Amino acid sequence: MENVIKLENITVSYLQNRQGLYSVKDLLLKPSFKTPYNKQIILKNLSLNVCKGETLGVFGPNGCGKSTLLRVIAGIVKPDEGIRKINLPVSPLLALGAGLENELTGIENIKLLLILSGNFRKENRAEILENVFEFSELSSADLKKPVKMYSTGMLARIAISSILVTEPELLIIDEILSVGDAGFQNKCKSRIHEIINNGTTFIFVSHIIDEVMEICKRGICIKDKNIIFDGSIKEAANVYQELFH
Amino acid sequence: MKDLNISIVIALVKKNFTLKYKQTLLGFLWSLLHPAFFLLIFIAVFSSIFKTVENYPLYVLSGLVFFLYFSEATNRLSGIFIKNSHMIKNYGLSKITYPLAEIGSELVTFLIGLVPFMIIMYFMGMNIHFHLLYLLPIIILFTIFTFTVGIILGSLNVFFRDIGILWITLSPALFYMSPIVYNYEIIPEKFKLFIAMNPLYHFLIIIRDVIYLHQAPQLRYVGICLIITSVTTLIAILTYRKTNNSFISNL
Repeated sequence: MENVIKLENITVSYLQNRQGLYSVKDLLLKPSFKTPYNKQIILKNLSLNVCKGETLGVFGPNGCGKSTLLRVIAGIVKPDEGIRKINLPVSPLLALGAGLENELTGIENIKLLLILSGNFRKENRAEILENVFEFSELSSADLKKPVKMYSTGMLARIAISSILVTEPELLIIDEILSVGDAGFQNKCKSRIHEIINNGTTFIFVSHIIDEVMEICKRGICIKDKNIIFDGSIKEAANVYQELFH
Repeated sequence: MKDLNISIVIALVKKNFTLKYKQTLLGFLWSLLHPAFFLLIFIAVFSSIFKTVENYPLYVLSGLVFFLYFSEATNRLSGIFIKNSHMIKNYGLSKITYPLAEIGSELVTFLIGLVPFMIIMYFMGMNIHFHLLYLLPIIILFTIFTFTVGIILGSLNVFFRDIGILWITLSPALFYMSPIVYNYEIIPEKFKLFIAMNPLYHFLIIIRDVIYLHQAPQLRYVGICLIITSVTTLIAILTYRKTNNSFISNL
């Protein structure tokens, strides 16, 4: 199988503000002023290869670097060291509400999300929009309201629908599926299955183990800045649960 | 710049433009009323003091519209990365997309606003002359200057939030340090150098050359403006390069 994600000895660090130093006053008065920023390592020497069409579930305790790993893959965070090669366009769905503009209507926001994700090509705009409207199951009256009047679930419907109606090549979803109601969740899951069957590579982060096991075949578990297990999803889930015993 | 997608920038310019006056009754009119109110105040307060300045309203207005463009744009740009933190963290777009879209919508607002102001200035005594065409390159240069100052402020503001507050605080000071409501000649000799250190002063000279004095901009000041803009551009590139990879951990 063709290798589409290749991470080799990736190290990612963040410059972290020293505690309590948020202003010029602190910079001048605190003894630590010479180095107001600490380097904190989030991922260290991490390597990961993913083949085309693979479905990868990512487990790990809070704050272990799961989201950072996804951001490295999506090209949002640049690793300090190591090699990153991604051979597919990435469709990231990392946080609810990113890119949504409160004052704009549902329709305007959907258009914006489609443009941002590069999925709004001139040829079939009307068709794509219609598909998003239909998938989201929001009424046309709701779609014309500014999204500041939306509930969290409705926001999730807009964000998720805008990605799922397209044919993503590399889909990355971080947690957010669980916001919708049971009906919408099932709809999303069956659409994700459909996308995967069409050959999409899929990376999924969630703390709902059953949800991940249902969709993904391969699993990794992250702890202490690196991957501590890489194998079948079932074993990965076991390793993950063992962490808490 | 990697992955800079122009169609996304344009879409965001449209969005900013729509959002700017959303939920206001007067909408776009505000971009005209804002300088107009200032102008009225200055004419009422200062025109009798600066009797020596010929055609005082035109003198003020020609400087004012450009200053307000600079001030509004840099204020917005100083908070641009903070405002878009959610986007920066979740979309792999080049981060320069956001300030570009912001200066884009500010420029559009400024240019549209310039049309009625040109008409007003015409009635104030501005000549319609081909020298006015010099405004085009001046506006481009002024916009690059404004943008690069904004990038420097915006990048640093991510790490020290004081920068944004400081800039808003300094803005009125900068206004009175620039010869907008007064003319440079009334400044006592010992403070003249101080005023000349203000980059805006040099831009105001070439702007007024065209609008107020109906002549080609003086080459000497065009040269100074080019140097100033090159310096701010260089500093902006260095600052942005050095800081932009660390934005994510501080937003």
